[in-house]
Amino acid sequence: MVELKVDQDKCLGCGNCVVSCPVNGAISPEAAGGHGPKTEEVIMMVENGLVKLFNVDKCAKCGTCPLFCPTDAIYLE
Amino acid sequence: MVANVKELKAKEVTVKRASPEEKRELSFKDEICVGCGICEKICPVQAIELGPINAIERTGAEESKISIDEAKCVLCGMCSPVCPVDALEFKIDDKSIKEMEEYPKLIKSSEISDEECIYCKACETACPRDAITIARVLPDRSKLVTGEIEIDKETCVSCGICEEMCPADAITMEHHEPTSAEPTVSTDINVDKEKCVYCLICKKSCPVDAIKAVCRSCSYGEYDLNPEDTEIKGSSFIDEETCVDCGWCEEICPVDAAHVEKAFEGELLIDQEKCEACGACLEICPCNVLSFPKEEFGKQGAENVRAEEKYCIYCGACEKACPVEAIEVKRTAVKHTPTKSKSWDKKMESLKT
Repeated sequence: MVELKVDQDKCLGCGNCVVSCPVNGAISPEAAGGHGPKTEEVIMMVENGLVKLFNVDKCAKCGTCPLFCPTDAIYLE
Repeated sequence: MVANVKELKAKEVTVKRASPEEKRELSFKDEICVGCGICEKICPVQAIELGPINAIERTGAEESKISIDEAKCVLCGMCSPVCPVDALEFKIDDKSIKEMEEYPKLIKSSEISDEECIYCKACETACPRDAITIARVLPDRSKLVTGEIEIDKETCVSCGICEEMCPADAITMEHHEPTSAEPTVSTDINVDKEKCVYCLICKKSCPVDAIKAVCRSCSYGEYDLNPEDTEIKGSSFIDEETCVDCGWCEEICPVDAAHVEKAFEGELLIDQEKCEACGACLEICPCNVLSFPKEEFGKQGAENVRAEEKYCIYCGACEKACPVEAIEVKRTAVKHTPTKSKSWDKKMESLKT
């Protein structure tokens, strides 16, 4: 079964995944508006300049974040 | 001796079982599968599991859209007739159960009537599965126009204007470098009457009035033309394997030549409040039902995703794909051929939600 994974070596910390993730948007609406989520309940967030998975179990594996990641640092595998 | 044999060719799976009395075989075509998950729901022994459809469709994950657990599969064949796109084929002694009257099958079809079809190719372009091929043979252009044209070669000064202006490339000159023996810029000029459409551009553009031409098409065209010569001939073909009976061809056909019968009736409900516009449903839908309404982008209260339900086959793939449960697909009617088996009838009816 595929899972959401992150390669922090590739991550630029741009946050595209954080704001594009539809589940993040549902949990923390300001994320969908392009801002940082206000809660750690979301799937992923940028912390110290790198993306970090907080609640990977919430991922519905929709494949949206890999489409927006400029460096393939977040992926389903 | 009864044994299960599972064959795995690329992503196509075949589960076989042969006994002295009977051979049963279930085969799955991955490229046909739309990832709706109906088979997973219907399987009485939970042998089928839907794969990561979004990852396969959107990020190119190299996985099969469904997996069949051969240890669990009892080869009952129930998954086959419920598949809305015929990705699962079940055979008993090499005969598909779709050819057997005692087994139910979904009533669905797509047809293009060659009698009504004008071979405009709108359906071919619109078909979301590229299942339609329209082959057409157009009449000779020369048989749709009549007229007369003549170039007075004595008057012609070989300027080449008509050759350059002719929209049908019907006029050709024999250009050459002048020599003392042949002190001209062109040795000949000719009109190809197969190409000429008698538009009279050459006549109007000739600086020395060397061209005499008349068009009869406008005044006498109807009488001059042989109706047989003007006919557009062709044929239409629907690849039944890839066709999902979505109805795009029927909707777009300008002459009602396409007819589609759908197996499911239902409702496609989108919760615009919940929708985060991630686009997963757009990519998964095999019928191009869903789109982002561009003209409303950024407007207050605008739809995040728009559905044209007339193309929907109510397979439910979008509902499965949606990561935020914003889509609900209801199936209110299932059209299928009758069966005497109560358990099969019950399964077919259980497709209703």
